[in-house]
This record gives sequence, C-alpha cells and structure tokens, in this order.
Amino acid sequence: MAPPAQAHRSPSPSQPSGKGEVSDLKSQLRQLAGSRAPGIDDSKRELFKKVISYMTIGIDVSAVFGEMVMCSATSDIVLKKMCYLYVGNYAKVNPDLALLTINFLQRDCKDEDPMIRGLALRSLCSLRVANLVEYLVGPLGLGLKDNNSYVRTVAVIGVLKLYHISAPTCIDADFPPTLKHLMLNDPDPQVVANCLSALQEIWSLEASTSEEASREREALISKPVIYYLLNRIKEFSEWAQCLVLELVAKYVPLDSNEIFDIMNLLEDRLQHANGAVVLSTIKVFLHLTLSMTDVHQQVYERIKAPLLTLVSSGSPEQSYAVLSHLHILVMRAPFIFASDYKHFYCQYNEPSYVKKLKLEMLTAVANESNTYEIVTELCEYAANVDIPIARESIRAVGKIALQQYDVNAIVDRLLQFLEMEKDYVTAEALVLVKDLLRKYPQWSHDCIAVVGSISSQNVQEPKAKAALIWMLGEYSQDMQDAPYILESLTENWEEEPSAEVRLHLLTAVMKCFFKRPPETQKVLGAALAAGLADFHQDVHDRALFYHRLLQYNVSVAERVVNPPKQAVSVFADTQSSEIKDRIFDEFNSLSVVYQKPSYMFTDKDYRGPFEFSDELGNLSIAAESADNVVPAQGVEANDKDLLLSTSEKEEIRGATFNVSGYSAPLYDSSAASVQSELAIISSTSAGSAPSSSLAIDDLLGLGLSAAPAPEPASVPPSLKLNSKAILDPGTFQQKWRQLPISLSQEFSLSPEGVAALTTPQALLWHMQGHSIHCIASGGHSPNFKFFFFAQKAEESSNFLVECIINTSSAKAQVKIKADDQSTSQAFSDVFQSALSKFSV
Amino acid sequence: MPVAASAIYFLNLRGDVLINRLYRDDVGGNMVDAFRTHIMQTKELGTCPVRQIGGCSFFYMRISNVYIVIVVSSNANVACAFKFVVEAVALFKSYFGGAFDEDAIRNNFVLIYELLDEIMDFGYPQNLSPEILKLYITQEGVRSPFSSKPTDRPVPNATLQVTGAVGWRREGLVYKKNEVFLDIVESVNLLMSSKGSVLRCDVTGKILMKCFLSGMPDLKLGLNDKIGLEKESQLKSRPTKSGKTIELDDVTFHQCVNLTRFNSEKTVSFVPPDGEFELMKYRITEGVNLPFRVLPTIKELGRTRMEVNVKIKSVFGAKMFALGVVIKIPVPKQTAKTSFQVTSGRAKYNASIDCLVWKIRKFPGQTEPTMSAEVELISTMAEKKSWTRPPIQMEFQVPMFTASGLRVRFLKVWEKSGYNTVEWVRYITKAGSYEIRLAS
Repeated sequence: MAPPAQAHRSPSPSQPSGKGEVSDLKSQLRQLAGSRAPGIDDSKRELFKKVISYMTIGIDVSAVFGEMVMCSATSDIVLKKMCYLYVGNYAKVNPDLALLTINFLQRDCKDEDPMIRGLALRSLCSLRVANLVEYLVGPLGLGLKDNNSYVRTVAVIGVLKLYHISAPTCIDADFPPTLKHLMLNDPDPQVVANCLSALQEIWSLEASTSEEASREREALISKPVIYYLLNRIKEFSEWAQCLVLELVAKYVPLDSNEIFDIMNLLEDRLQHANGAVVLSTIKVFLHLTLSMTDVHQQVYERIKAPLLTLVSSGSPEQSYAVLSHLHILVMRAPFIFASDYKHFYCQYNEPSYVKKLKLEMLTAVANESNTYEIVTELCEYAANVDIPIARESIRAVGKIALQQYDVNAIVDRLLQFLEMEKDYVTAEALVLVKDLLRKYPQWSHDCIAVVGSISSQNVQEPKAKAALIWMLGEYSQDMQDAPYILESLTENWEEEPSAEVRLHLLTAVMKCFFKRPPETQKVLGAALAAGLADFHQDVHDRALFYHRLLQYNVSVAERVVNPPKQAVSVFADTQSSEIKDRIFDEFNSLSVVYQKPSYMFTDKDYRGPFEFSDELGNLSIAAESADNVVPAQGVEANDKDLLLSTSEKEEIRGATFNVSGYSAPLYDSSAASVQSELAIISSTSAGSAPSSSLAIDDLLGLGLSAAPAPEPASVPPSLKLNSKAILDPGTFQQKWRQLPISLSQEFSLSPEGVAALTTPQALLWHMQGHSIHCIASGGHSPNFKFFFFAQKAEESSNFLVECIINTSSAKAQVKIKADDQSTSQAFSDVFQSALSKFSV
Repeated sequence: MPVAASAIYFLNLRGDVLINRLYRDDVGGNMVDAFRTHIMQTKELGTCPVRQIGGCSFFYMRISNVYIVIVVSSNANVACAFKFVVEAVALFKSYFGGAFDEDAIRNNFVLIYELLDEIMDFGYPQNLSPEILKLYITQEGVRSPFSSKPTDRPVPNATLQVTGAVGWRREGLVYKKNEVFLDIVESVNLLMSSKGSVLRCDVTGKILMKCFLSGMPDLKLGLNDKIGLEKESQLKSRPTKSGKTIELDDVTFHQCVNLTRFNSEKTVSFVPPDGEFELMKYRITEGVNLPFRVLPTIKELGRTRMEVNVKIKSVFGAKMFALGVVIKIPVPKQTAKTSFQVTSGRAKYNASIDCLVWKIRKFPGQTEPTMSAEVELISTMAEKKSWTRPPIQMEFQVPMFTASGLRVRFLKVWEKSGYNTVEWVRYITKAGSYEIRLAS
C-alpha cells in the first residue's frame, strides 16, 4: 500500500494544511502510549481515526510512525486494524521504521485469536519492503498450516505478495508446491480459490524462465485438476466460481462426451444471480463447443434468455458490461438473434453508450423479415435530441441499406432525411446516399433529384460536402446545375478549410468536364489553377497530375478520371476475422468492451496509437466508406489497416501515391496504375501487360502492395491463371449453387504448413501468390474453412474451391467446381502444388 | 484472472478522495489524478463506465453523490468488477443501515477500511457476505467472537461447511414469532409507437423475501408458472388445473436456491438467509397486462399555440387502485403559458424538464380521466425551431396487481422443530420505462 497521495496534496482548498495538526497528534499519541488508564482505548481510537483520515486526504502523517507503533500494544482489534493500515501505508517509504513494526506483527502472528493472526499476517505481507522478506517466510509457513481457514486464506495470498516482493525467496521457500497441495486438499473453498489465483499468477510469471513452472501452469488445466474443481464448484463463492470457470474455459476435453458432461454439470450456473458467473459459464459453453457447429448453435439459443435477462436487470454499468458481450455474440451470429430485435430498441433515458451498442446490434440483426420494423424504429431515433445518437441511427439505416437486397423503402427514408432540414441529418444522409449509389447505381435517378435540390451552402461538414461534390461530379450529366454549383464552389476555393473537400472538388470538376465540356471548361481552368497554387501538398500534386495528364492526352485522361465503374458489392469490413476471433477468445474480459484484443491495450508497444483515442466504435465508423472492389481483400484487412484511415476515395488513392513527393519508383507505380487501368479498359488479358505485375486493385487498394507477385514458375504450364481475377461474392455463391462438384480430393499438409496456419491469413497471402484468391474464410483451430476462386488467364472461366483444413490431422479436404470441367484436374494439380508449398 | 483490482477509490462529486485502497503496486499513485483530469473534468463522464487511460482501465459507478472507481492494469473481467462494486455497496449499506453517500462514508471510514481489507485481498475478491462479515467485523469493535472460545475456534465459514455449505445463514437463530414476508415486485416496461401499437413490452420482476425464522428451515415456493405446474402435474399424474399459467422467459435465483433441484424437479427450494434478500428475478415478454393505456393527441395550432389532450385508461380491476401516478407530457422549450383542465388529480407545467406534469395520487381501476391543456409558445426568430417530440413518460405503482399475472401458490416451511410460520405475500407493479411516443 503505497502512500495514497503523499507527494501531492489533494487540491481541495478546504482541507487543513497539516503541519501543525501532525505535531499536535504526535504529542497526544506520545502521552497515550505509556498510559494504561481505563478507557484509554477510546481516546486512542479517536486519535488513530484522525491520523487515518489525514492519511486518506493526502496529508503526510509518516512523522508519527514511531508513536503509532508504540501505541499498537493493545488488545483492541479496531485499534490494531487502524494501526496495521497505517503501517502498511508508510512502511514502503520508511523501511527503517518498518523494522520497528516487525516485532509486534510477528508477535501478533502467534496470537491465540485467529482474527489477529490473520490480520497480522496480512499486514506483515503488505509491508512490501524487500530487505524484510526474511521475516516473512516463517510466519507464512506457519500460516499455511494454521488450523483456522481464515488464517490460511490470508497466508495463501501472502505467498503471492511475497512472490511479488521477492520471487526467489518465495520459490526457494518451496511455497508454490505447498499451495498446490492446499489447492487440491483444503476443505475450505476460499483457501482453494486463493491458491488457484496465486498459482496462476506465479506460474505464469515463472513460465518464461522455468520449464518446470510452465509444466505446472499446464497442469492447472489438466483433467484431474479441472474435474476436482468442477466437482466442488457449488461450494465456492460467486467470485471463486468465476475464477474456476475461467480456468475451465481453457480446458480442452478429449471427446464430446466430456464436453456434454461438463455442460450438464454447469448448466444450472446460467440461472445464477451473479451476472459474472453467468458470463463465465457462457464462455465455457462457447469455447467447449467451438468445433461442434450444431451444438454451438444450440448453445447460442440456450444462452439467449439469460443474457437478455441480465441486460434488463442491474445497474446501467452492469447491463453495459453484459450488453457488450451480447453485442459480440450478435455480431458473430446475427441470424440467431433476428427475432429478438425488439430487445435492442433504445429507451429514451438510456445512456448513450448503451444506445450505441443497441444500434449496432439492430443493424446486425436486420434481415428480410424485420427490416421494415427496424428501419422504422431507427428513423424515430434520427429525431433524437442526442445528436451523436441521431447520427448513429442514420448511419445504421444506411448500413442496413448496404447489406440488404431490397433497398427500395430504405432509399425513400434516406431521402426523407435529406428533407428534414437539420444540418447533421442532412450531412449524414448525404454520405450515406453516396455510398448507396456506389453499390446500387440503379437508384441514381431518384437520389439525384433530391440531392440536386440541396443547397451546397447548407452543407458544412467536410465529409458531407465531399460526398455532395462527388455526386456532382459523378452524375453531372443528370444534374442540370452541376457545372454551375461546382463553379461557385471553386470560386470559394480559398475559404474551403478542408483539403479533402478541395481534392474532391478537383476530381469532380474533371469528371464534369469530360461529360459537359463546354460548360465546365472555364471552371476546370480555375480549379486547376487554384489547385496548383494550393499550399496543401496532396491538392497541389493532384492538380499537377491532372494538368499533365490533360496535356499528354485528353482521352487517356478521361479514361483515368472517369472510367466505367463497377458497383461495389461488399464494403470492407473494418476488423479482420482474426482480430474478431481473438476478441472472442478473450470473452468475458475488457477486450470485449474495448472491442480489441488484449495485447492492443495491455502491451506497451501497442498502446501508443490507441491511448486516449479509444472512443468505442469509432473504428467501425471510420472505414465505412472504404472502397473494396475486390472482396478477397476484405478478408485481409489487417491490424494496420485498422489504424489507417481508409476513408479516402478511390480517386484519392491514385493521387496518394504522389503524396510523398516525386520519388521515382512511386511515380512509376502510379504510371503503372494508369497502364493497367488502360489494360483493363481495353479488355486485353492481364497477362499482356507484364509491367503491371501487381493487380490494379493492389495499387489502388489497402496497402496490399506488399502482396507477393505471382510466381509464374510455380504454375505448371498446362494451366495459366489470371493473377487479377475478380469475382464478387454474389456471383460466387450463385455459381457455387449451380455448378456440380467436379473434383473432391483430400490432400496432406506439410507440418510446416500446419504450423503456419496458426495465422490463417498467411495461407490467403500464399495462395494469392499462386493466383488463387480467397473469397471467404473462417473457423477456429483445428478446423479452418476457406473458399477460393481462380480464373483462367486466357478466358473468363472460373474455378471455385472449398477447402476444409484440419490442422490436427494435417489434412485438407478440397472440393473443386469449375465452369470448364475438363480443366478441373489440371487446376487441382495447381492447387495442390500451391498448397504443398505453404509453410511458415 | 477475473479481477485483480489494483486499487479502489471513493470520490465525491468534486473529485476529493474519500477513501482509497491500493491493493497492488502495479499502478501509480497518481491514478486519482488521471481519473479526475481525463474523466471527471471532461465530457467523458457520462459516455462510458469503462475507460482506458494510459495502461490502466477504470471502471466507475456513481452511487448517490459518490464515485466508486476500480483501477486495473490487466485484462480484467468487467462484469465481475461491476458486480463487486454493487455487492460492496450493498454490504456497506447493510452496515450503515440504509444510506450510502458522502456523509455516510465520512462517518464510517474506519469501518470501510476494515471491510475493504476483508472483501478483497491483493485485488482478489474474498468474502462479501454481510451475514458472515457481521460476525467478526462489528462497528463496536469488540474483540472477535472467536476469542471467547479458547480452542478450536472455527471461522463461521468452516462451521457452516460441515452443516451442508450454507454459507449465508448462521446457526442457532431464534425468533419468538416465525414470519416470512414475500414481496413480488414487477416493473413493466413499455414502448408504444405514435400509432398506438406496442413496439416493445416486457416485465422484469423480482421476489423479495424477508425471513424471520428460527433454526435452519427448508422452504419451498410454488408459483403459477407454466414449467413448474406442468412438472407438478406430471409428477402427480394429474391434469393441470385450469387457470392462468405464466411463461417465464428466464429466471435467476439467489445463491441459496438449490439449482439442481430446480432443474430436475422445477421447484424453488432453499434455506433462506436471515433477514432481507432477493430470492429470484424473472423476465416475461408474453401476455403482459398493461395497467394503463395512454391516448394522447397534440395539435399545433399555428406557431405559438398548442393543444394537448391526454386520456388515461386504467385497465386493472375496479376494486384496485394505482398510487403515485405521474404522467409527463413533453412540450417545446419555448413554452410560455399553460392552462389546464383535468377530471382528476392536478397538472402543472415544469419548466426545468420541459414537461406538463399531471399527478394523480389515487387512481381507481376501470376509470379514464382526461387532461386537456392549452400551451402558448414564445414565437422565436428561427423559422422552424424543431421540437424533437420526446415520448410521454409515466410513473405509477399498482398494489395487489402483477402485470405478468404471476401468483404465489404456496410457500412451505419445514424445520425440524416443527414450528408454525406466518406468511405474508404482497404484490406490486411499478412502471419501469413506460414510454408512449407522440405522433409528429
């Protein structure tokens, strides 16, 4: 117990300065120390209380240490406790004085009253002075053997405290084996629980240096220990039950019988009044059944009711903790919760952190049957007084629109938002309409009519303004006034604070120019001139780039700036499945609340970028507008992508290559991007443009430039695959349903391959190197499932692969479907050779 | 590690430390400052009860005028931490006799330090049961009870161990009159759309028990819930009696309830703790009887006048009545003048919450009082000063009524001495979040 606020005084002005009072106390204590008059304990108590209260508010009362110790010779237990508290607080900074207390503490450790023995032992271990540890070993040893369980519980934790003061002393005294013995034999459940806590800590810390310790740590999750603890689970206090359940969740049962036995034994824990116990039990259930898909789903059904009860009972803080866990489960299996959507409706007075989670869950569970109700409800929130929540609700409507097939009604609602004439509603709705148009270009007609009526003066937020400008450029042929609005925006170039908006303005003017040259020519000149004079590097560079491009060849420029666009089928997911799985592994902990794995907030290296910026959920919003033309890359958005703002539009990306200046290789690569774009437009096969060895999407995309280039040597000559194959998930699913299985095979994996699969991402990268792209992947050790696709280089003939890998048997089961059945064997060979080369 | 709390702080609303207890050395001493500067003095306070500052996570809860803050440095179990705080506060309350606020803490800080020592050691929760703690932590500070018995003084836990793991009940209790009080308290939550359709409706109920029973009694509680009744009729091979049966969505029990027997026989049997405790909690979403229907009409007459008409129908039995009914009807901020006509109770305009507040102290069943109000607004410069139309909110208590229809069928008490017990059962339904949206 370090002194609470010894160095710094509490800022409250009303508190006494201290000095005078302390010396006063000192003399009063001294008077009492020797006295044995009746009733002396009462006056001592008053004084001690004063000392403790000064200590609490941060006044340094260490000066009376000696007097306190002198007064400690008392039989009054309350006095003793206050004295122990005081000593514990100041011993660390006054090691010399602490020595004074050893004597009376050691004496108390042998008191006939077990309370006093326990208290003294606890205080003795709380002194935390390294050179006094020798005095601890003896009393601790006796304490562990004490016939009173209270003393034993204290002694067990005492061992842990000793370990933290001086690990070698603790190990040399052979305390850990003693604890293990106690854990497995003590009749008192609290002693057992404390042993478990202590041993987990000690062995985890020792494991890095000692093999024996790491064996012991493993032994804690061995069958005998787990069964022993499970059989006693009802004896434990609710807190100890959490501890035990946490341990059980790490246990790997041998077979399904064991799993069912454990679940049957623990099922009644789901009815426990303590939410923490219920959550721990849920964790056990979920982790035990990970490899049993059907049962896992039943577990979800079973835990639904207890979770929903927990959410609606207890303080807002408690329900928030539960709701965070419900949130992660809903995200993993939205369909199971689809019928419970009404539980996620927000109440008017709920705190916004609760509302936010509920909104995300409402978004996730929306499907054909409940979308109407959910969207109606979300629209109610759009008029909410709480503006951040209103914004979230509008975004939620947009997200639902993007994940649904029937967006008809939703588009109407979004357009109604635009007519609500509230700044923030308009702003959010504009951004959404833009995203929506990128996925469903067929709605452009309806949307543009409404968007065209919005005055650009009423839109101030950069994101919304950028969205509006993007639409002006993209649909300038349909919007009568587009060139003139752009013109007035360009006139106010100087006043526009946001570089993002100015970048968009440049591009939009370019696009407009190609569609309506005579009306735009003048604006284009003005915009390029303003851009070239811009102090912002990106804006300047883009203006220069456009300028040179136009000088070089106007029709090339048009193809660069205004190529026919493919509708975006799937927007990038912000969190990789790997991260999500890690969070799920750490169920029932802070990871779930923070929505990031623990290494990101407990490791010092990771903390940096997140510090003070951990506003929940902002990660998921930031990347909403991320472009992801090739779905295969969605799966691969790695940790780093999370940190990057992926909000730039595709047009910007072309320019961001220039951002870092004019360094030659970068410039080349952007030239390559132009080339490869040309290549695609002229629909020449990709193979004919060898200089653009990287797929265009990589150049534009999410930092995939590190992707290994295809290795032609590794591909047998019989079958050439297109390294830039594109297939959207919808088509994939359709084809997968239509095509028969042309080959079903089982391959063996090399041990290195199995080892490398600890990060399934690695396989995706590897296969991409062989021009086999992943469209979806999932699963958990030992079972992984991947869906791949590949395309023939010469013609658009697709191969679809389902690959189930079991790492414990090192086998891969592969099902291949092909447009052209005759080549499936050849493809299978390619696939197998690629897979066999997979290693760390 | 479930919770290895590094420190726990009690702060008042200004941020002064009332109590601090550092359990582990892995956090610095300036944690309170971090909390003050990064949470209390910013707008973050209401945004999230779990916050990360530097390498530490802060869990905080406000209880009356006190913040309780737990600091952890590892990846702790959130639910466990909050539950710990809630339990600790319940424990303190049982010691202080009710209130838990800044004054109570200041007056009892020595006791709190004592308790903090016992309920958590080195960051691990220990024993939080008031029953047990009160045996050896007493405000009077008398010498511990063990010392009176010279040898082999087992700690209560150990004694109870032998008698069958009843860690929540002392032996040797004697009452002259053996009584049990059962309170079935339900809160009914409603969200009604502006079109009058029920968007969401559920009941969360709890059964509170107060036991003054001698010895070690065994209790068995029977409710008119579906599963319990079916099981019973199965066991006695007798068809279920007609009458309403209730389908509970989910139930949780106090730790004293034998869960194994509940799962196998569907009976709620238990050895109760002494005094007051929460026996069970349940949740029901089907077949909820709403005690009140609210029918509002709000007409905006031009820019400066509004007409508000609200009719409330009580749909419970005519012999029953609701108490403390309060209906809050939101009005725009720029309300200047209001006039009311009510057929029952009293209504007035409360400017601090921008609501018309209509109070009816005693509201009989099967009646439908109305309120009509005229509201005059200050005309504002802004062309279309938007009013978000928050929902109407309602508070009430209806004694002897359960929105779920749940009833206690029996409560049996067995004790080896075979004494007679008197059982008292009360029902009450309160408004949870009872919201009716306004049409716009």
